[in-house]
Amino acid sequence: MYKTVNALYRQQQIGFLQRECKQRHAEKVSMMESIVIEHLSKKYGQFVAVNDLNLTVEQGVCVGYLGPNGAGKTTTIKVLTNLLRATNGKAYLNGIDVIHHPKAALEGVGAVVETPEFYPQLTPDECLSYVGTIRGMSGEAIAERSHAVLEQVKLLEVADKRTGQFSKGMKQRLAIAQALLHEPSILILDEPTSGLDPRGMVEVRDIIKGLIKTDITILMSSHLLYEVQEVCDKVAIIDRGVLLTYDSVKNLSAGQDVTVTITTLDPITRPEFEAIKALKDVTSVKRTETLALKLSFSGGPETQFHVLRGILNTGVKVVSYMPQRAAIEDVYLQLVPEGEA
Amino acid sequence: MAPNSVRQIATVIKYELLKYLRGRRLLAIVLLTIIISAIFLIVPPAIGTAYPKDPTDFITRVLSFLGVLSILSATFFGADAIVSEYESKTGYFLFPNPIRKTAIFVGKFIASALVSVGAIGLYYVIAVVSVRVIDGSIPANTGLSFAYSLIYLFAILAIAYLFSAIMRSSVYSLVLTFFTFFLILPIIDAVGSVAKFKPWFSVTFANGISQYIFQNPYPADKVFTTTAAGGPSAGVQTYSLVQYYPEIRLSVIVMAAYFVVAFVLSIILARRREM
Ligand SMILES: Nc1ncnc2c1ncn2[C@@H]1O[C@H](COP(=O)(O)OP(=O)(O)OP(=O)(O)O)[C@@H](O)[C@H]1O
Ligand SMILES: [Mg+2]
Repeated sequence: MYKTVNALYRQQQIGFLQRECKQRHAEKVSMMESIVIEHLSKKYGQFVAVNDLNLTVEQGVCVGYLGPNGAGKTTTIKVLTNLLRATNGKAYLNGIDVIHHPKAALEGVGAVVETPEFYPQLTPDECLSYVGTIRGMSGEAIAERSHAVLEQVKLLEVADKRTGQFSKGMKQRLAIAQALLHEPSILILDEPTSGLDPRGMVEVRDIIKGLIKTDITILMSSHLLYEVQEVCDKVAIIDRGVLLTYDSVKNLSAGQDVTVTITTLDPITRPEFEAIKALKDVTSVKRTETLALKLSFSGGPETQFHVLRGILNTGVKVVSYMPQRAAIEDVYLQLVPEGEA
Repeated sequence: MAPNSVRQIATVIKYELLKYLRGRRLLAIVLLTIIISAIFLIVPPAIGTAYPKDPTDFITRVLSFLGVLSILSATFFGADAIVSEYESKTGYFLFPNPIRKTAIFVGKFIASALVSVGAIGLYYVIAVVSVRVIDGSIPANTGLSFAYSLIYLFAILAIAYLFSAIMRSSVYSLVLTFFTFFLILPIIDAVGSVAKFKPWFSVTFANGISQYIFQNPYPADKVFTTTAAGGPSAGVQTYSLVQYYPEIRLSVIVMAAYFVVAFVLSIILARRREM
């Protein structure tokens, strides 16, 4: 009886907090907006690490958070996860003000910030039980979910070994496991694949891709642009604490020329070269080696296909046809100026 | 739905205790307690001297490392409790959960208090049982002495905790705690004797009540005068020292005040601390 009354009371409290935040926000925060950052600034002494940042992530969307070293990505994420106090501005998670009500706001959030360390005396199972209990999960739920997430990150074999001797990548896997334990509605990840071996990166990317099919909201900082292009719906780029752009991957890549490298079986003849150059949509062609060409065209996958067919029609024996780099990379390189981090 | 803070504190205590049980420090303190007690129990028969006849004398002697043991407990279990979460980055794992930082730090303090009380308690149990077995009686005021020891323990544990909320590195915090209670405060206490001011405000001085309480009557401040011949021209000089004894009520208040102030301050600072 007491328990239910207590739970009811707490639910009311959360409800109250949510209503309060909503009201304060006039209709701006709807429940469809999982993460709302408004005029957020963070100073370390005089140094401005995040400067008047505004960012809204709708429910179910995966946002890649990009920027050079020292741009302020981790700082933003730390404010969202109650590790830093903001100097100015507001941040809401599921409609709850995380700066003033971190306990309620972090309820549905799973986070990996930097590469966390674990208590060396505890095992992965115990670490997960610890945070699971803090989150109010039942013993059975913890056991069941621990098994599931440790299996996902391939740590099941060491589930009862102390974490003291774990490698960096193993700790990163455990960090991801603890973030997923309670099936969060918001996932905040700071370079989730850093420190992982190649297979680990693919596995974690697959886990994230699997989650994207659900209505989970993800904010993920990364330096791996192809990873972001592959996984995320939207991209936010920040530099020196200032948001440079925030748009869908599709929109950002649309305006970008695609560069592909072609390698051929035989050297390309002059007429073949001219024929390729004359193909529709192709903007530039450059011979890089005897058996290799680099050409650019504007357009999406459709154009990419037509260009390839056009090249094959000229009679060139194409051995490989590889997009040079992610379109996001071009956007990034255009927006983020050269210079020291 | 995350449980209320009281239940979360209980969870923090549980896992902190588990960490202590698996760590080396608790084992070290327990072994030390046993070795210290054993020295006082084994050495006299081994070298052929009798145990003190008076049970009060006997227990004071067995418990003479009380201060050292308390300081070691405070250092081992309090001095890096907060700073370690930041320094060793375990905070990245614990803090982004739906739990108030106050709940985390209160839970951690209670856990360190529990193991420290356990160590000091073990020391008293060994002392009381051996005096009872050897002398057949338990000295009066043993309970009071234990109570005073606990107040002292809580006070220095809270101060250690405060250091751990302020310092940037575990090592500095451990060293600062150890030297504060082992060196700095005892020096102030000793200077008091020479310079003739009573260091009633010193927590180590106040802790004297846990030992003096065994004496009947409770000792009063004493002045010692010694005369010494100086150089040929200086003639005879007189030196005097005062042996100060802490007053019971004042000392309890002083120690309790240290505990409350240091504890509250450490929680406030720890809450504000950024990762
Ligand atoms: N505790 C701190 N005190 C002072 N300055 C800090 C602190 N933490 C970060 N900074 C500074 O704030 C800026 C932003 O750092 P942040 O860690 O957010 O960058 P980042 O975008 O995560 O970079 P990276 O890609 O290297 O992880 C950097 O210039 C950094 O030097
Ligand atoms: Mg970073």
